[in-house]
Order: sequence, then C-alpha cells, then structure tokens
Amino acid sequence: MFNRKKFKFNRNKERQIDEEVLKPLYSNLEKNTEVLNFLYEDCSDVIFRSFVIADQIKAQLVYIKGMSNIEEIDSNVLTPLMQQTDQKSVNPRLLIEQRVSVAEITKIESFDTCVEQLSVGNPILLLDGDQQGYALGLAKWEKRAIEEPSGELVVRGPREGFTESVEVNTSLLRRKIKSPQLKMKTLKVGSYTQTTIMITYIQDLSDETLIEEITQRIKRIDIDGILESGYIEELIQDNSYSPFPQVLVTERPDTAVSNLLEGRVVIVVDGTPFVLIAPTTFYSLFQSGEDYYHHFIISTATRWLRFLFLFISLLLPSLYVAVITYHQEMVPTTLLLTMVDSREAIPFPALVEALLMEITFEGLREAGLRLPKQVGAAVSIVGALVIGQAAVAAGLVSDPMVMVVALTGIASFTIPRYNIAIPFRLLRFPIMLLAGTFGLLGIMIGLLAIIIHLSTLRSFGVPYLSPMAPMKRRDLKDTLIRAPLWKLNTRPHLTGEYNKYRQSSNQKPFPEKESGEE
Amino acid sequence: MIEKGKISASQMSVMMYHAIIATGILFIPKTVFDAAQQDIWISPLWAFPLGLLSVYIAYKLHKLYPDDTIMQYSEHILGVFFGKVIGFILLLLLYTSISVMVWQYGEFVVSEFLPHTPKYVVIGMMILLCAFAVHGGLEVIGRLSEMVFPVFFLLFLVIVVLLLPDIEIKRMLPVMENGIMPSVKGSLALYTWFAQFGIIYFFFPYLTNREKGMKWGGISVLAVTITLVLTNIIVILVFGRVTGNFTAPLMSAARYISIAEFLSHLEAIVMAIWIAGTFIKICVFYYALVLGTAQWFNLSNYRSLVLPTGFLIGVFAIQAFLNSAEASEHFHEVSHGLTDTLVYGLIIPMFLLSIAYIRKMKIFKQKGREKK
Repeated sequence: MFNRKKFKFNRNKERQIDEEVLKPLYSNLEKNTEVLNFLYEDCSDVIFRSFVIADQIKAQLVYIKGMSNIEEIDSNVLTPLMQQTDQKSVNPRLLIEQRVSVAEITKIESFDTCVEQLSVGNPILLLDGDQQGYALGLAKWEKRAIEEPSGELVVRGPREGFTESVEVNTSLLRRKIKSPQLKMKTLKVGSYTQTTIMITYIQDLSDETLIEEITQRIKRIDIDGILESGYIEELIQDNSYSPFPQVLVTERPDTAVSNLLEGRVVIVVDGTPFVLIAPTTFYSLFQSGEDYYHHFIISTATRWLRFLFLFISLLLPSLYVAVITYHQEMVPTTLLLTMVDSREAIPFPALVEALLMEITFEGLREAGLRLPKQVGAAVSIVGALVIGQAAVAAGLVSDPMVMVVALTGIASFTIPRYNIAIPFRLLRFPIMLLAGTFGLLGIMIGLLAIIIHLSTLRSFGVPYLSPMAPMKRRDLKDTLIRAPLWKLNTRPHLTGEYNKYRQSSNQKPFPEKESGEE
Repeated sequence: MIEKGKISASQMSVMMYHAIIATGILFIPKTVFDAAQQDIWISPLWAFPLGLLSVYIAYKLHKLYPDDTIMQYSEHILGVFFGKVIGFILLLLLYTSISVMVWQYGEFVVSEFLPHTPKYVVIGMMILLCAFAVHGGLEVIGRLSEMVFPVFFLLFLVIVVLLLPDIEIKRMLPVMENGIMPSVKGSLALYTWFAQFGIIYFFFPYLTNREKGMKWGGISVLAVTITLVLTNIIVILVFGRVTGNFTAPLMSAARYISIAEFLSHLEAIVMAIWIAGTFIKICVFYYALVLGTAQWFNLSNYRSLVLPTGFLIGVFAIQAFLNSAEASEHFHEVSHGLTDTLVYGLIIPMFLLSIAYIRKMKIFKQKGREKK
C-alpha cells in the first residue's frame, strides 16, 4: 500500500509486527512477554507488571497507564491473587474464577485481540503455562461529563448532549429507547486509529436495504484514521460535490432518537459528540427537536419564520442590489427618496458596496470564531465600529446597506443547523453578482439553478426535496407545518418497506362526556 | 429504456400545466381579443375539448404501445422508413416551436425589463439553465415543476385579488353580443396552445401510475382552462375595450396595482415568477426534443445531446424573427392557417392512431379469414 512504499525504512519492522499480531498466544509466559515487549517497543505508557500467583505460578499484568483503573487492579486483582494458599498445586483458571472480583473478563487467545483490549484500556493478565490470557474490564479514562450541547441550544427540551465517548453516546440512546429492538452494529474504520463506528437503528422500523447500504458504504472506507464524523460524512454521501449536507448532524440524543423512531439510521463515531443521521431531506434540516415540545401552532409559526429568514439570508442583499440598480420603481417613492439620499455620496455601485460589506462581515464572523476568548470582545467592538459607524461616516457605504448586511447576518443564525446555513451563506455571493448584472431576472435564474441542483440530490435513495417534490401528500404534515402530535400518525416514507403507523389514530384529547349535565 | 427516471401522473400534470400556461397567461388575452372582443373569457371553454382530445389520442396510442414514445411507435405503425420521416418532421416542428417560445421569452424580457441587455445573453442564460435541468432528467423536471407550481399559482391568485378594486363589471357586457361565433373564432388562436398538450406522448411511458395518466392529463387541461378563463375575465374587467393594445395585458394590469401606496408596481415580481413558469415550459419542450432526437438516432443515452440541442435552439431563437412586428405578422398568418403545434400535437398523433387502428382491423380480418 501507499503508506508502506513511502516509509521504506519501517517496512521490515511493520511486516514483522503484522505477522506477530496474527499469531495465537504461546503457553510460555516469557515468550508472550517478549512478543508484547516487541510490539510495544518504545511505548513508555505500557506497563508490564510481573508477579507470582499464590507463590506458585508466574504471571504478567499488562496495562496502559492512564487508561485503566489502578485502584481496582490493586484491590481486586493483585491483592487476592498474590495471597498465599494452602493447596499444594493450584489450578490457575479456577483461582481466577474464585478470586478475581471483576465483572467483565474476556478470554484472549491471540495477540491481536490482546492489542485490541489493551488499547481500549482493559488490563491483560497472562499466566505461565496457559495459552489463554484474560482481559479485565477495568478500563477507565478521563472523559468529559455530559453537558448541554452548545451548538444546538433549546429553550425547552432535555439538556444533555452527546460526548466524545462512544459508550456514553450509545448508553444515552439506550436510556431513551428501552426496547431490545434498538440494534447497534459495530465497525472499526481507520487502519491506525481503529475508530469504533456504531450503526444504530430500530429493527422493523428501518429498511433492511438501507442499513445494508450504509454498512457497505462505511466498510468501503480505507483510510488511515477517522478523527471526526465529518470524515465519514464526506466519504459516504451521495453527491460529493454538492455544498448541501446530505446527512443530518446532531449533538442531541433526543433528536437522534426521534430520527431513529422515524426509521432512520444513526451513525455514532467514537471520539466526537456529533452523530450522523441518514437519510435526511432538505426540510428536516430546518427542524429543531424543540418543534415537537412546543405547541404545534407555535412550532408551525417558528418554521415559517425560519423559511422566511432563510430567504432573507440568501436573497436580501441581492434584492437590495437588484432594486437599487434596476427596479427602482418597485420602491415606494418616499422610501426611494430616503435611500437615494443616503446613497448620494457613496462612490461605489450598489453591487460593489454589497460585496464589500458582506465579505467584511463574513471575515469578522470567521475571526470571531477563531480568536482567543480574551481578544474576542475587542474584535467585536472594532467590528461593530468598522461595519457600522465608521464605514458610513467615511462615506464608503450607505446606511440601508448596513441594515441589510446586519439583517442577513442575523438571518442565517435562525436556521437551527449550522451545516445547512453555510451553503446558503456561500450561495449569497454568486446570486449577488447575478443580481448586479441582470436584476431580478438574475436572482430568479440563480434561485432556479439552486432548486435544480437540490432536485437532483438524493440522500441514500431519498429525494432531497421530498416530500414536497416528489410530492408525498401524507408526509407534508411535518414539513412546512408541524401538525399536532395526535395527527402525526404515520412515519415518513423513506425507502422501500417501512413500518407505517407510529401510533393509534383518534388520540385528540377531549373532555370526558358527563351524562349528568343538562 | 433511455430514460430511467419515473414521474408520477400528478407530476406530469403539473409539468403540462406549466408547459401550456407559462406563455399563455401573458399572450393569450391579446391574441384572442382580436376575434372575440369582450367574450374572450368564453373562448378557453371552446378550446377545452381540443386539449382533451390531444391528451386522449396520446393516451390511446400509449395504450397500444405502453413502453414507447411517439418516436418509437411511429416506426411500429408505419414501418422504419416512414416512421423515421414522421419522426423527423415532428422533431423539426418541435425545434421551431421551442425556438419561438425562447424568442418570445427573450423578446419579452428585453423589451419590458432589461432594455440594455443583449438578447443573446438573456436567451443564452435561460438555455444554459434549462440544459442543467434537462441533464438532470425527467425526474428533476418533474420535481422542479412541483416546486414552482404552488408559488406560481399563489402569485396568480394574489394578482387577481389585488386587481379586484380596479374591475368594473360593465366592461364585459354585453355577453355574446354577436352570438357565440366571435368567441369560437377566438378559440381558434387558443388551439395553438391547447394542441401543445399533445407532447404528453413523450411522458406517458415514464409514469409510475400509468392507469392514472388520462385522469391527470384531463385535470391538467381543466386547470389550464380555468386559469385562462380567470385570466381573461380579470383582463377584460380591468381593461375592457383597450385590451388589444397590450402585448401582455396581465402584466400591464399588474402595473395598475397600487394598494396603500406600498404595494405598487408589482410587475417585476410578476415577471420573476413568470420566468420560473417559462423555465419549466422550455424545460419540458427541450426535454421532449432531446429525448425524441436521441430515440430518432437510436442512442442509448440522451445526455450527450443536451448541450448541442440547446445551442441549436439558442441559434434558432435568436434568428427566429427580426422584431416583434414581424413576429406578430407571422403569428397572425399562422393562427389563421394551420399552426405547427396543431400538426405535431394533434394531426400527427391522430394520423398514427387511425393507421394503427386500420392495421389492427386488417389483422383481425386476416385472422377471421384464416379461421374460415
């Protein structure tokens, strides 16, 4: 493979390691130790502790510093095993069953499982004269506590978010879905990182072929390391050139669970709090988990607000440019006079003015993300001054333009998912250029081009714009509007076979009829 | 099959709706007014059966050859040589038809909105955009039309409602002043549009629910008729006897709208939405043409033809007419004679259907003779 050709000097050693790893354990303890020592050469974090069980059998304990619970090793493994015994000859396997008080003990027969167990933090116990080793489930490493996800804040709803640990994440899912129908398939991707990837779905709700497809796509990945679910996303999406996300990304267990219940598949990647949900559609990217916790009228209104601001974030600067440059007659006279008045001293055409301000704004926004917290405040003050007052005072931009830019900036934050807001932020610029050259016609052309592109997209076989195009009348109840929960009787149809009904109908609450009245 | 995508019957219906109404909604009132005067709103009703007939003939042919488009079954019916000849004529007519549509679009945009923009830029941009959509295939066009339809229709209704303060009922009186003949004569011009329903024969084989094809085709014709009746009523109620002076009365009517000093001069928005409709119209015809050409040449893939065809359409469209005076003279001549859309939308399919039936009867007779 490519890697190996490049690093020729490492080749022999690597090949030897590959060979050693595949071998089964020897019965000779010294030989086993030698092989492990060879594998973990120059790994100062791997600790080898040799001791004698009951004064009779030599044993070796191997663990990685900082990944195992040392107190438990001391009290539950070493102490009981090193105690003397009255018996003349002891059976080591029996002794381990009798004395080691650890809940999870896995038997090991080869070096590769040995390495695997060690790298997840489980200490390995090897005995002299025994071809079997034991991995003790005493892994313990530092992890972040469960916190509220900072990227997806809600007013009402659970405050917990996924963490970097895949075990914690799957346990969060399992805590919400108690049914054993919740299945998790484990895959390891990355030749060096061996990252755990869990494909999570609910049996009978998700289409078998969909799960098969996702598994195949993930298995096809051949890469040295997976550091974030973004790697997986980019390597499994349908159209890799599209700026639009074809997989839903969330940090919230409740969002993941609601998608599982709709028959989608959740992909949990070790080392990141962001889980992937596939397949997804355009409209579901504009939904927030909170939509289902508030009253449906409020949620519907919120959704409309989001779509309105989506259009603002995409089109407002372009509309401004088009109207000012080509279609002045559209503006009521008094307003037009005010606008012309403020633009009188501006040396640039509206298009240049808009581009200037939008690019400055995007730059400030990006800088605000990257800057150390201590300097952040200073930058926002400077930014506000530069964008707002100074630019106007210097006669570079007009007041209405500042308003337009500010509104556009705010608008893109109303979209609940960051990854769908970005393409619209980007596409604003080509549309601005079109608006500057062709007016409203240009905007329309740009908009149509975007819709064409969206119509060609699919996410794991599901048309991106469904259920609007192709129209699925039954699924419209949860796109532009959020129908009341007692009306959401059916699951959205994704692909192939699916479990249609999610609840019984006629659940609209009504007061108990009282016969005594009248 | 050359096209792997499938659309639903309702998608086809929406596509056809756009394909007819997009230009119709602007130009029909004036064209019909010349003959029908204040009765223009009755004319679409007379044209309605013709649209239905086009769809019905296409559907009958589809029933005989369920997996083929007209390019293929013309060869089954007439033999390879004559089938190819009919196919060639059909493609040529489609070419000219689309070119005229694109020209109309370009002329209208340039004369009404962007007088300083060269026409070939306006036309070229639209054709590139359509090529992008056609390249996506039938499914994409179907989805696009579904996305555009609600906006288009809603805006149409909003315009109608906003025009209500300007209407005056007496402008459409007296109804049928000279009997029904003027409105029937007016409907002759409408045949140009309604015959275009014929190209539905390119879409029938690609339906997911073929049995609903006729139903949704009929709904499409009905929707077009209703929209046109509504358009004509509102135009005649607003403009009365001066309707004939406008090329696009509905657009001019939109200029009239002025509510609370704020909602005024909506024609730019009307134009923007109208462009979306026209875009679908051109896409539908463009797609039919590309698919037909590919089938005529027996190609296995039509996508390689998208750009060359687009280029040809663009060249034809720019060269179509010198100016709108020449065009209106042309239309005047054409709409009183045999129109090209009538040929490819109605006459050719009708001819094919009758030959197909005659051949079928012959086969029956032969079989009958053999039995005896």
